[in-house]
Amino acid sequence: MTPGLMAVMRKEIRQVSRDRRMMPMLIIAPVMQLIIFGFAVDFEVEHLKTVTCDLDGTTESRELLRRMTADQSFLDIGPATDCLRPHEDIRSNRAEVAVVVPRGYATDLLSGHHVAIQILADGSNPLYGRFARESATAAIEAISAGVMRERLELARGLTQVERTIARPLPQVRVFYNPRMKSALFMVPGVAAMILLIVTTIVMAMNLARERELGTLEQVIVTPLRAWELILGKVLPFVIIGCFDVLLVLTVGAWVFDVPVRGSLLLLALGTLLYILSTVGLGLFLSVAAKTQQQAFLAAFSVMMPGILLSGVMTPIENMPRWLQPLTYLNPIRYYVEILRGILLKGASLSDLSFDFAALAVFGVVILIAAGLRFSKRVD
Amino acid sequence: MESTPIAVVSGLKHHFGATLALNGMSFEVGPGQLYGLVGPDGAGKTTTVRALAGLLEANEGTVRIDGLDPLEPGSGVRERLGYMPQRYGLYRDLSVDENLQFFGDLFCLDRKTFNQRRERLLGITRLAAFGDRRADALSGGMYKKLALACALLHQPSLLLLDEPTNGVDPVSRGELWDLLADFMSQGMAILVTTSYMDEAARCSMVGLAFRGRLVLEGRPADLVAGFSDVVLRVEPASPEGMEALESALVQAGDVVEAVTPLGSGLRIVVQGGEADRVAADLEAAGANVRRLTPGFEDLFLSRAAREPGGEAT
Repeated sequence: MTPGLMAVMRKEIRQVSRDRRMMPMLIIAPVMQLIIFGFAVDFEVEHLKTVTCDLDGTTESRELLRRMTADQSFLDIGPATDCLRPHEDIRSNRAEVAVVVPRGYATDLLSGHHVAIQILADGSNPLYGRFARESATAAIEAISAGVMRERLELARGLTQVERTIARPLPQVRVFYNPRMKSALFMVPGVAAMILLIVTTIVMAMNLARERELGTLEQVIVTPLRAWELILGKVLPFVIIGCFDVLLVLTVGAWVFDVPVRGSLLLLALGTLLYILSTVGLGLFLSVAAKTQQQAFLAAFSVMMPGILLSGVMTPIENMPRWLQPLTYLNPIRYYVEILRGILLKGASLSDLSFDFAALAVFGVVILIAAGLRFSKRVD
Repeated sequence: MESTPIAVVSGLKHHFGATLALNGMSFEVGPGQLYGLVGPDGAGKTTTVRALAGLLEANEGTVRIDGLDPLEPGSGVRERLGYMPQRYGLYRDLSVDENLQFFGDLFCLDRKTFNQRRERLLGITRLAAFGDRRADALSGGMYKKLALACALLHQPSLLLLDEPTNGVDPVSRGELWDLLADFMSQGMAILVTTSYMDEAARCSMVGLAFRGRLVLEGRPADLVAGFSDVVLRVEPASPEGMEALESALVQAGDVVEAVTPLGSGLRIVVQGGEADRVAADLEAAGANVRRLTPGFEDLFLSRAAREPGGEAT
């Protein structure tokens, strides 16, 4: 700790605490964002609005429809407006799913023929389509198994039946997030995003602001070294960033029941490395920018693809193969893996060693690059 | 100056794109000297100061402060340099005290030294009562004095002031020059740029800058004494007489070196030997002619006129 470094840090803290717009942005905004993202970004689908067309009108067909809409997947909103064109209800947004039971369903079923039940689903949101297919298949399979059992029971007797129709049934156990709540998946991602926004944008605009206002010149003519100036600016925001993570995790645990299964110390280390990277990135952009506006736009145009290519929203495995290597250059990717690993799985350092190492390398490289670029760019 | 100079600028050339900002600027500033770099906007004054402060690397030429290169930050050159930029360089969201403290820390002053110098500087700049005031709440003159105090905390051997009196009221301007005179008498080397010609008289040495280089240099008194041209105030007897006056001036040709409007008439600078003849011609054209005491502005205008592509302003 040199006197110059201390002086720059003290000055930064003073300026941030004096800026009335800055404190809310650094503290209230992260919490708001977490809550909004946590609730709004929900990949679970329930209560799909469903219209029905019972062209058979028998006890069996009514029973089928009743059992399909009995659980939370489909919400029966009544018969379709026009059973010849049930897709019209989907097109007009009245329903997301339409179920059509054909004429002769009961007869065919009882006489042992195959029966087709038509399910129409709104694919404009792929989530609906996929979910409707899965739920409908499961419901119909359960129903047809029941029907088959009843019929065989009638014909022969139960014990034999069980043997005859025995088949492997999948029994899936989902670890770490058994109820598949999307909040558990999202909160770590949101924490990484918020930190990125707060530290990168604030940092990018910081040095550009000094250049724009002319204060940078006055500091450059003093004996203060470039590394003292840069570190002095970085450290206060690292501290604020760490505080934000703590805040977000607390709110995450409280509002969304996000667990902390791993070591907090490890989490702190990962966070520190990540903030070093994001702050370094902001600084790097800031050195190149002449005005705050340029710095802001540069930060923004780096952050958007950064978030999309990080696995926060969608799994990296789903991205095109040629795009996937790019994610290795992305510090957000590593931090999200670290956060999800520690929070949800209780992962240890050796499980995450690659992510930690990558993050450390990125942070050090970008900070050195920013420092070199800054000291070369005096005028 | 007999003693070794503190600042040496030699043969500086620099251009920004197609614009030539410096074209062979050279001068020296010694200890106890208040050097005024005087000239119109665009003469290269600010570029010169920035090169001295180590904020700009000129395309050609050298700059030395106590023999050190300002572009080598580790050489100790920055400890010897005080710089007050033309634009606002202090933190406007920090108070007077906080700004002083920050720059004191950057120069690694210990607490005792800092407090002593802070007291003294706040005293002579008469800012002591405003320690808690934010810099953005200071008037233009007070702000400049605070900037001066910040630049002086580490007692530099060379003080660079870029247009310190620009946008400052006349009373504060006077005070600022008094302060500079004090520092000069204590042995500091000071370089001031200004576009106010009347301020040149307060310097111990003046360099007239025009188009990126000096066109004239010397002590103000010597320069005025050595000025052989004559300054005339010419006024037509009636407003209609202006046309006749102008054609008479065109006829006089190159011996008239500068013409500027003055009241309802003109202020002209004429080569010394030709003054009587030109005056007679103008009177014949129906004008009232009166001799004026030459000032720095006239000096500058006459010199600029002799430059290739001159006819300044």
